[in-house]
Parts: sequence; structure tokens; C-alpha cells
Amino acid sequence: MTRPGATSHEGEPETGRHGRLALALVLGWLVPGAGHAVIGRVRRGALFAGLVFLSFGLGVAHDGRFALQGGDQPVLTGLQLVANAGVGIADLVGRIAVYGEPAYFLPRSTSRPEYQERMAILRDRASIELSNYGTAYLWTAGLMNLLLLFDVYDVWRGRKP
Amino acid sequence: MRSHFLHLLLYSTIVSTFFAVLVRHDRRDRIRLGLYLWIAMVGGSMALAYLMFPFPN
Repeated sequence: MTRPGATSHEGEPETGRHGRLALALVLGWLVPGAGHAVIGRVRRGALFAGLVFLSFGLGVAHDGRFALQGGDQPVLTGLQLVANAGVGIADLVGRIAVYGEPAYFLPRSTSRPEYQERMAILRDRASIELSNYGTAYLWTAGLMNLLLLFDVYDVWRGRKP
Repeated sequence: MRSHFLHLLLYSTIVSTFFAVLVRHDRRDRIRLGLYLWIAMVGGSMALAYLMFPFPN
């Protein structure tokens, strides 16, 4: 089946095309810009990667907070976690650097030592003057990268040149 | 960088460039949309800031 406007994947078998799309989406989430590279839009991917990493780098440089899901506001912190994790592997690396481990959640029991440790790190970071700016940059990087996954899909479908 | 205003300029530049490239395909259209978004973000923030000025707390 040939879709109107199909470009880089013309002539490939259907399974191969879907496999390439899946690879592009997964890689695009893990490494900003890689999804575009997989479907043959290297320059577009490189430009987007530059913007996402610039935003992420500014976030880290300004002590942005890496959200932990749980606590008193599980839904809100869950959304914050999605925004953070949208940037892929870079978020994981940032979390390991900040928390010393790949921490994504707060334990349910507030008496657990992990809860106390993670909250202390989070509070310390929140008390830094520029942390709010950093957090905005981190969320923006993640959300931009999630939007790029839709762009990868649109380009792959031939909806965009 | 501690200046709130410089952060506003930088943040607006990143976001407006991103959306201009994302939704427009012609170079001229990208520049036009990018400038429009940048002015809207910076100008809107400044206007809101002046509106909020009499209510500092």
C-alpha cells in the first residue's frame, strides 16, 4: 500500500516500513533528533536536537528539578515526570547525577530512608535561586522532544515535506 | 545568568525557533512565524508584567 506523499520509505516492504517507524519513534525519544535521522531528515533532526539539548543544558546549569512522582500530589508530579522524561536518556543521566541513582518515584511510605533522602535533595535543589528557571528549561526540553515524535510520524506518513 | 529579562529573551528565542521550524517549511515563512512568536512571547510577558506591577504581592 502506498500512501500519498510517501517519500523515504517507498519500495520498502510494509513490515520494514513499520519497523523503521517504530525504531525512529523509540530512538527519537531516547536521543532527540535521532528519530528524524532514521527517516532520512538528518539536518532537521540536528537542528531540533540542538534546540532540545540547549534547553536541557540550560535547565541543568540552572539547577532545574528532576521531578519525582508521588507524595501529596501524584497527578501533578506525574505530569512533571512525563515532561522531564520526554528528553530520553539525558534525563536518566541527569537523575543519576542528581540523586545518585535512576530515581523517578517517591516511595509511598514517608518513613522510608529513600523518601527522606530524595525529598532532601529535591528541597535543596528547589531552594536554589535559579531553580525555577532551570525547571522550566528542563520541562520545555522534554515537551519539545515529545512533540518531535509527532513530527517524525507526520514526516514518515508524508504529511510534511 | 541571573537576569529574569535575559532568560525571557533566551527562552522565547528557543521556543519560537522550535515552533517556526516545526510548523513552517519555507525559510521566509519560518522567519516570519518565528519573529511573530518571539514578539508575542516577549511583548506579552512585558505587558503582563506592567499590568501586575501595581500588585507586587
